[in-house]
Amino acid sequence: MDSSVEDCSSDTLRFMELAIQQAKLALNNLEVPVGCVIVEDGMVIATGRNRTTETRNATRHAEMEAIDILIEAWQRDGLSTSEVADKFSKCKLYVTCEPCIMCASALSIIGIKEVYYGCANDKFGGCGSILSLHLGSGEAPTSGNGLGRGFKCTAGIMASEAVGLFRSFYEQGNPNAPKPHRPLVNHQAGQ
Amino acid sequence: MSKIIYIPDKLPTPPDQQPTVNVFAAVVEPKIINNLVRQLNQIVPLENLRHVKRVQKKHLEDGKIQIALILCLASENNCDLDVLPPCVQELVASHKLSAFITKVCKEAATTKEEWEEQCKLWPTSYHPPAYNIDGITGFNEVDTQSIFGFMRLAIELAQSSSKSVVNAAVIVDPSVRQVIASACDHHISFENASTSNINGETSFEKCPKSLGSHFDSYESIIHGTFPSSSSLAKLKQSCADVSCLYPLRWFDQPLPHSSNSCCWHPLRHAAIAAIESSAARDCRLFPTLETVGDKSVEMEHMDLLRKLAKRQKIDLDNANNNENKVGTDGEGTYSKLGRPYLCTGYDIYLVWEPCIMCAMALVHQRVRRVFYAFSNPSHGALGSAHRLQGEKSLNHHYAVFRVLLHEDVL
Ligand SMILES: [Zn+2]
Ligand SMILES: [Zn+2]
Repeated sequence: MDSSVEDCSSDTLRFMELAIQQAKLALNNLEVPVGCVIVEDGMVIATGRNRTTETRNATRHAEMEAIDILIEAWQRDGLSTSEVADKFSKCKLYVTCEPCIMCASALSIIGIKEVYYGCANDKFGGCGSILSLHLGSGEAPTSGNGLGRGFKCTAGIMASEAVGLFRSFYEQGNPNAPKPHRPLVNHQAGQ
Repeated sequence: MSKIIYIPDKLPTPPDQQPTVNVFAAVVEPKIINNLVRQLNQIVPLENLRHVKRVQKKHLEDGKIQIALILCLASENNCDLDVLPPCVQELVASHKLSAFITKVCKEAATTKEEWEEQCKLWPTSYHPPAYNIDGITGFNEVDTQSIFGFMRLAIELAQSSSKSVVNAAVIVDPSVRQVIASACDHHISFENASTSNINGETSFEKCPKSLGSHFDSYESIIHGTFPSSSSLAKLKQSCADVSCLYPLRWFDQPLPHSSNSCCWHPLRHAAIAAIESSAARDCRLFPTLETVGDKSVEMEHMDLLRKLAKRQKIDLDNANNNENKVGTDGEGTYSKLGRPYLCTGYDIYLVWEPCIMCAMALVHQRVRRVFYAFSNPSHGALGSAHRLQGEKSLNHHYAVFRVLLHEDVL
């Protein structure tokens, strides 16, 4: 991990705060609390939160949700595949927990520029914990059969807040703990 | 001839090349063993050697039984008996034992062959893979034919687009031999891809084609014969558009001309699309549980699975007797619960070995067994570039098999 917590600019914290908001939204929906935002030119262009329980699809992680929003929007705008690739290469992702092996690989496939994350993911982490997919293979990204592309990765941004949310989730999960009222399922509108 | 081979969690170590460590041991009188083992376990537990048995029983030539006991770990280079920890030294002195140094295997055995070899040095215990998945020890004729049938279906699906060969995935409930979901790659655009999108909606959920719309009767494919060696060879050669083989090729694709351009998505590999389709089926068939089902339902189920997994962790001595029984127990429990928990108990058939993204998605969705026909040398995550099934930290492990079709073309 190229962790350089010192260069925690106010922007970085501001975007991570928004990712935490998404994670809280997931928690309120009884989902594993992970949230993210994707930023282009200093602007948030997509948000995502874990929706694995609601969709019964365990691959619907925050990162996948946010990526899908962008691909859908850019295709609607008539962008070509190379234009979409070009867009992603300028995007930064802020996510409350280290991307899992699946999401890290997905981020490498779409060619994200940079990732900032909160706490580490000891079980499935794909950006340093279990595998280091963010390092890529160093091969030229233009060759279609090159191995995965790497991306810059910074760990430990607001990690304690992210961990705190996980703790609340597992306390909720205890059948003896009082159950929070479940809000009406609120379908995330595409942005 | 076709056949099914198991792709193990790690490359097996040749039994005679297993790493060892030195330990102090001593021959002891049978009557003091229990007492001594208890004390040793307390003061010098064999922390990283849990697979090693503390006691060795040896039948001597005169018919007597000699019992030896591991005292504690020894250093690798200093074989001096003086280095025994003082607390052990005390026990040795009080029981008048004569300590000696011997070798034991450092890692737990992963196969029966490794285990048998280990016991020649010093007895160890062997736990067959905790998940004890059917097929690791071989398939019977009926299962074999059924596996070939579903793989045929996946291959048929991979060639079903007139434009190009793609990866295809078929999710199956093996207990009833039923197709749960299927999908092809949607990572790049094909002009006539996805006819299901009648409303012109751009939602990705609409994109994966269900098998039903493709094949009126897939029974005939399942019970048919494999394509000839030459057509399989051709299939393998025309794989330039297979997602998991070339995951970065999506952005090289020319601008799609059809208005139906919603149907490319760089991450929509066949396995991901099939998972989505099976999740959608789950929501469709069991709609009410979403609102009633709070986490306690899920938790209960998880507890049950954990108990099952625990029960399956049995010594090899019992394994042979119990193998069938445990298998049936497992199946019975899943089906009694009705609603599936993700893809627990399901198999997936893929034409090409999945990339790391797809392989991890299959872990998340709790697939039980993965079957693939062709390996994926540069990106394959289940034996080629990675061996994700051997990643101990993951919370779920599936068994991986390769279906070899006409060995001559491979
Ligand atoms: Zn993930
Ligand atoms: Zn893939």
